[in-house]
Amino acid sequence: MAGGTIWKGSIHFGDTNVPVKLHAAIKEERIQFHLLHRRDQVKLRQQMICAYEKKPVPTEAQTKGFEVEDGKYILVDPAELEQTAPEGSRMIEVHEFVKTGQIDPIFLGHVYYLEPDTYTEGYNSLVAALQEMDAEGICTWTMRKRSYLGSLQASGKILRLSTLRYADEVIPVKSLKLQEIPMSERELKIGSDLINQLTAPFQPQKFENEHQKKLQKLIEKKARGEKIAVLRPRLLKPTASDQLLQALEASLKKVA
Amino acid sequence: MAVQGIWSGTISFSLVAIPVQLVKAIAPGRVSFRLLHSKDYSPLARRMFCPEQETMVPPDEIIRGYEIGPDRYIPITDEELESVSPERSRTIEIVEFIDMAEVDSIYFDHPYYLVPLKGGEKSYRLLVEVMRRTNKAGLAKFVLAEREYLVAVKSTEGALTLTTLHYSEEILPDEDVSPQEGKIDAAEKSRMKKSIKEMMADFNPEKYADERREKIVDLLKKKAKEEATVEAPEIAEEEGEGPADLIAALEEIMRQVKKSR
Amino acid sequence: MSRKVVEIAERRLSLSNLEKDLYPSYGFTKAHVLEYYGRIAGFILPHLQDRALTLKRYPEGVEKAFFFEKRCPSHHPAWAKTAEIRGDNGERMTVCLVNDLETLIWVANLASLELHVPLARAGSPETPDSLVFDLDPGEQADILHCARVALILRDLLSRLRLTTYVKTSGQKGLHVYVPLNCKETTFEDTKTFSKAVAVIMQKNYPDLVTAKMAKEHRKAKVFINWSQNDASKTMICVYSLRAREKPTVSFPLAWGELENLAGRRDPEKFQIIHAEAIHRAETMGDLFREVLVKKQRLPHL
Repeated sequence: MAGGTIWKGSIHFGDTNVPVKLHAAIKEERIQFHLLHRRDQVKLRQQMICAYEKKPVPTEAQTKGFEVEDGKYILVDPAELEQTAPEGSRMIEVHEFVKTGQIDPIFLGHVYYLEPDTYTEGYNSLVAALQEMDAEGICTWTMRKRSYLGSLQASGKILRLSTLRYADEVIPVKSLKLQEIPMSERELKIGSDLINQLTAPFQPQKFENEHQKKLQKLIEKKARGEKIAVLRPRLLKPTASDQLLQALEASLKKVA
Repeated sequence: MAVQGIWSGTISFSLVAIPVQLVKAIAPGRVSFRLLHSKDYSPLARRMFCPEQETMVPPDEIIRGYEIGPDRYIPITDEELESVSPERSRTIEIVEFIDMAEVDSIYFDHPYYLVPLKGGEKSYRLLVEVMRRTNKAGLAKFVLAEREYLVAVKSTEGALTLTTLHYSEEILPDEDVSPQEGKIDAAEKSRMKKSIKEMMADFNPEKYADERREKIVDLLKKKAKEEATVEAPEIAEEEGEGPADLIAALEEIMRQVKKSR
Repeated sequence: MSRKVVEIAERRLSLSNLEKDLYPSYGFTKAHVLEYYGRIAGFILPHLQDRALTLKRYPEGVEKAFFFEKRCPSHHPAWAKTAEIRGDNGERMTVCLVNDLETLIWVANLASLELHVPLARAGSPETPDSLVFDLDPGEQADILHCARVALILRDLLSRLRLTTYVKTSGQKGLHVYVPLNCKETTFEDTKTFSKAVAVIMQKNYPDLVTAKMAKEHRKAKVFINWSQNDASKTMICVYSLRAREKPTVSFPLAWGELENLAGRRDPEKFQIIHAEAIHRAETMGDLFREVLVKKQRLPHL
């Protein structure tokens, strides 16, 4: 079942208005750990420590500052920050449409399911229109005092809204300072052949979170007081660059 | 700026193994504030605190624990965690390649970059180029701390990105939020299609900025002009000693050493 | 001048001046030096392996002038392994790598009594494979003071889950090693870490320890020389001879032994000379072997 209603709004572009309700689309259930003190196995708490006095500081003695230069701060009052909060609105404003598949996954954030709210016909029409145009909408909205950028997509019978990261939040590839290394056509050809050979349809159901189960077993074993055999992680030997072609050829032979 | 590594190990496909480092791809764009002590304007640091012994606890004295009852935990060490899937904790093994166009975007969770480590530059470049040409992504599973991730490795603008994927069991069914009837207003639909056509463009994320952030920056600029700044006290002792975390941990351990001698 | 030609691993070496007394007040000739290095080779070679050797040559014996040579002498035999490295000023230079017995004997034949090597291998000069605390006693302090400091360091570091190893310098000091052997750790890390430890030690044991280089701070104290954790610095190699009055050796000690020695209050008992070094190594094996292989990470960096 999809999660409960998170927020209500209305999709708007041109003279279209489609009211919708947002629901969570993802639910992650993970084994939760707490942080303990090794010595006495007491659960640890987070505290804010004054770097000068080296003492914990209670919330009421904390204040926010923006560092303008080393060790110099402008104090910022919570009330002042409140003023910068975007005005509340119920509008999911679509600014433009792009072909589906154009947005690199690096920009994608959280996904919500949209449920039709009172006007199902309009909702269905929008799903169909987006599918027939093979398009998704780039939109903005304000939810809980934050402004969001997102994309509106049709999937099956429903609409989905995915938040998008702002461009300046994505670290540019340039900053990784990657080296340009020329490749021979032969290496590229064999590499491509190999990848094509190893290609399978995307079937995410195939992949289970086995680890979670193993982790559960580990905890149970420890609870019974059994000793855990510590295994060293497997390390692979890197392929030397002068042996790359050979490794590719051998790989291709193996899969062919 | 040097990139900070989150993890390092090997990425492999078939018989090729490439030493790599996992680095951040996302830097949250929020304006970051420091919490200060209102008394002396000294910055505050987040520390783990043991309520029993009323002391700060250095990172290497912290272990994970699974709660089995009130105040009762089963302690788990990092080594034990790594033993759960030792074959996946230092290796990202691509088990198959997929067509990127087949992946429903709902599966994408969090992106990272992979950068080559020494000796891996050439094989890395090959994988980037070959995945670009074929528009394929590699699927792999790997373990980071206590979690196992299903990941897609693909080529983005000359780099390898690693995006964690949701497991399909984590994706909630959508039947209960789907429209209960399928009626379409044909006239409405064609009006919508006309608007969509008029509003078609190429995706250009640069066009959009976080307005809240811009407002905060404006506020800070204004305040910087009008108001005096406050100054954190010089922490004289600490100068030249080393990172505060390390010094704090050493002080604490020194105390124990002296006690036990 | 006497010469003797020997053949090691099918390589011919011409040894010279064998009867030259290099430790005259003790009576230890070049032949003895060659014999020592020949017998200790199995133990010292792994520690010299692939490291840029700095020769410290005493052609006229330990009482006369010596000279340091970072460069591999240009007349080196064709089979001696060398590496190209960048020196302190960025200039390229050729250095010796002592990777086999024949090179070790050739170097010893140059009256290079002391063998000094960096904490990093020539192939990865920025990556130290261990961190060192070089404990150097100031005036009015001796190796007993060093032993106290070393034992505190051992306790401190073990609580950070770092295993440590100790050796004598072969002179008045002790060297405490923390094996790292992980390629992510840089000299910047080891320097930051060792300095922080030195400062905390000084703060807690102000009458025993100083972290400051200046002579006036060092009187009656042990200087923890953290600045040795640098790409341009070298340490005396474990099992190397020292050029003192007697042929002492920089030799590894088990921590338990150091505790005993510290209780016996006789600085001379710490010194291990050539024959004892060979005897102990042959019976106990290489106590420093773990320094080369044990993988550890510095916490809090």
